[in-house]
Amino acid sequence: MRGKRMRLSLAWLVPIAALVVGTVLIVRTVMQAGPDITITFRNAEGLEAGRTEVRFKEVVVGKVTKVALSPDRERVLVSVKLDKSVENLAVDDTRFWVVRPRVGMAGISGLGTLFSGSYIGVDAGVADEQRLHFTGLETPPFVLRGEPGLSLVLEAKNLGSLDVGSPVYYRRTRVGRVVGYTLDPARDSLAVQVLIEPPNERLVTTASRFWNASGFDFTLTASGLTVDTESVASILVGGVAFASPADAASAPVAAAGQRFELFASSKTALAPPDGPPLRIRMVFEQTQRGLVPGAPVDMLGVEIGNVRSVALLHVATTDKFPVEVIADIYPLRLGSVRRQFLAAQGATEKTDALFLKRGVDNGLRAQVRTGNLLTGQLYVALDFIPKAAKATLDMHTDPPTVPTVRGTLSDLQPQLAEIVARLGKVKFDEIGSGLQDTLRSAGAAGNSLQETLASANAAIRQLTPDAQRALADVQKTLTSVQGTLAALDRNVVGGDALVQRNVNQALLEMQRAAQALRVLADYLQLHPESLLRGKPADADPAKPAEGAR
Amino acid sequence: MNLVSSTSAVPTARSRGLLGCECCGLVSEAAADAARCPRCGFALHQRKPQSLQRTAAYLMAAVVLYVPANTLPIMATASVIAGHESHTILGGILELWHTGSWDLALIVFIASIAVPILKIAALALLVVTAQRKSRWRQAERASLYRLIETVGHWSMLDVFVVVLLVGMVRFGAFASVEPAAGLLAFGAVVVLTMLASASFDPRLIWPDPADDD
Repeated sequence: MRGKRMRLSLAWLVPIAALVVGTVLIVRTVMQAGPDITITFRNAEGLEAGRTEVRFKEVVVGKVTKVALSPDRERVLVSVKLDKSVENLAVDDTRFWVVRPRVGMAGISGLGTLFSGSYIGVDAGVADEQRLHFTGLETPPFVLRGEPGLSLVLEAKNLGSLDVGSPVYYRRTRVGRVVGYTLDPARDSLAVQVLIEPPNERLVTTASRFWNASGFDFTLTASGLTVDTESVASILVGGVAFASPADAASAPVAAAGQRFELFASSKTALAPPDGPPLRIRMVFEQTQRGLVPGAPVDMLGVEIGNVRSVALLHVATTDKFPVEVIADIYPLRLGSVRRQFLAAQGATEKTDALFLKRGVDNGLRAQVRTGNLLTGQLYVALDFIPKAAKATLDMHTDPPTVPTVRGTLSDLQPQLAEIVARLGKVKFDEIGSGLQDTLRSAGAAGNSLQETLASANAAIRQLTPDAQRALADVQKTLTSVQGTLAALDRNVVGGDALVQRNVNQALLEMQRAAQALRVLADYLQLHPESLLRGKPADADPAKPAEGAR
Repeated sequence: MNLVSSTSAVPTARSRGLLGCECCGLVSEAAADAARCPRCGFALHQRKPQSLQRTAAYLMAAVVLYVPANTLPIMATASVIAGHESHTILGGILELWHTGSWDLALIVFIASIAVPILKIAALALLVVTAQRKSRWRQAERASLYRLIETVGHWSMLDVFVVVLLVGMVRFGAFASVEPAAGLLAFGAVVVLTMLASASFDPRLIWPDPADDD
């Protein structure tokens, strides 16, 4: 019995099993719990402790455990417990942001969060360095790490209607999207980040040209009106298009992160490269109303640059207000002319300025001309003026000053003045006296005319007797004709002319005959029997006949 | 009642060589060790074998599992509105309390926290006193044991609630409830305390010089 009492109960296995199970449960939970990290956000909109999830690729990888204010109350500290499985998310370059419903032109994102509430999105970093405190992004990142595609940077003058998500077109096919843009206030430059999605990244070569395909282009040319747009969507949400110039088919595929210039239109994008501009300065004495920044600068009809600014100067010595025009010209646009010069001179930093200087020595002058008579727009022409006063390119100013000549329109004014001056020189009094002389000689001519008339008179007078005789004959003839006519009148036309009276009587007779005939006809109509029976005796007027009633 | 106060004076079944059947209540002559009730065939013994050891073992297991039962979530809910959430017992009570349902919080607290603790503590007390053959407040200890037996089942309330939710809340993508590891531990705690109280032989409250197990 003693041994039996000392025997341990099998029930002791139960607490051992419980210990094992409990330990396993606890340990597993503890093991599952990954690192606790803190993320700071500007505000905690939509974030709730114990409820808000942390999702990586829409997989829940953690949960917000606490939302608190930072000690300085500037930011919100969000404590997050990550899952063990994603322990390696807590590294230096991991990014966190809050996914909220966002409505943009390019689409609606995060719609699911309307119902599920916001969550914290994660873009996993790849760094080795551990980190437990993060600063959350205020907007979702443009590209997730590891997203396939070629990301490029476009340097733009302005954003146009581009926005994050705007499409990138190649041959009017969507091949990528704008993933972001950054305005660098320090350098005053705008960089647009685009992502070319696979497998289209090989379409981008180092020679590719990008342009802003937002909206549409109306081009009115000699061949008619052309409306150019990439797609209807790009009218609304903007877009970027790119193409490779025809002569750059063999250019290598662009590398990731390569920088391109974003041109304003396909025309400028596909034009030969401009190269660095050469800034020049021109001073005009005359008013330059109509010359605006952006106005073309052309050389013998070839557009080589644009006006940058138009400003007034004041020259104290002469107390005049000349107009200073700063323009950018692109020497590369001169093409072979410049290449030849380069070949002769050798390329240096100042080559283009020297080239310009030689042109000026040969009579190259800047002149403002009217580009459009209707709108009064002006452009700057660099042209060889044959009889220009000698001048040189002033290299001391920055930028160098190109000598100028008066514009065509402003030329007209002195010419007009000259005409007026010449008119003023005309001796109008002399002209008057000459005129008087002329008139006087004209009077002399009148006298001779009088004499001619008088001699004509005399000649006529000599003619008279014969004529009088002839006239008397004519008179006689006329008188006899008159007598004949009077006799005719008496016999035929006169009131008591015989012929007329006879004709009158004959007509009266015919009238009467017609009357009688009518009476007879009437009677016969009423009494056709009288043709057979003869006319009845006249009825007694006192007893009217029956038929008369 | 005065019988209880002076145990030595009271004739017991053991002193008369009798055994009571715990199942059908038949009193029979104590024969051999492995005696069986002649009426119902239930095993007969003067005291539950190794009662204190087994009770202590079950209690220890319950204590061990009580830790994960309260620290691990017992239930994981997923809904479109609230997302994925997991709930511990204490967290649920706090949530109920904060949302104003203090009455519900109280009920859950009593059923899920207070009763198991009370049960474990009371059984531990009973085991320790019985082991020491203490004669301290034997009547109160007996009533404590009866209370434990009565109230113990209520601890399963939580388990029932979760199981009901798991069965009922199945709205596909909109909402679902899944049991979590803590529920297993909690259920085990409740079962173990019930086993412990069942293993405890209340006759040990009145120690018998002949009984040194």
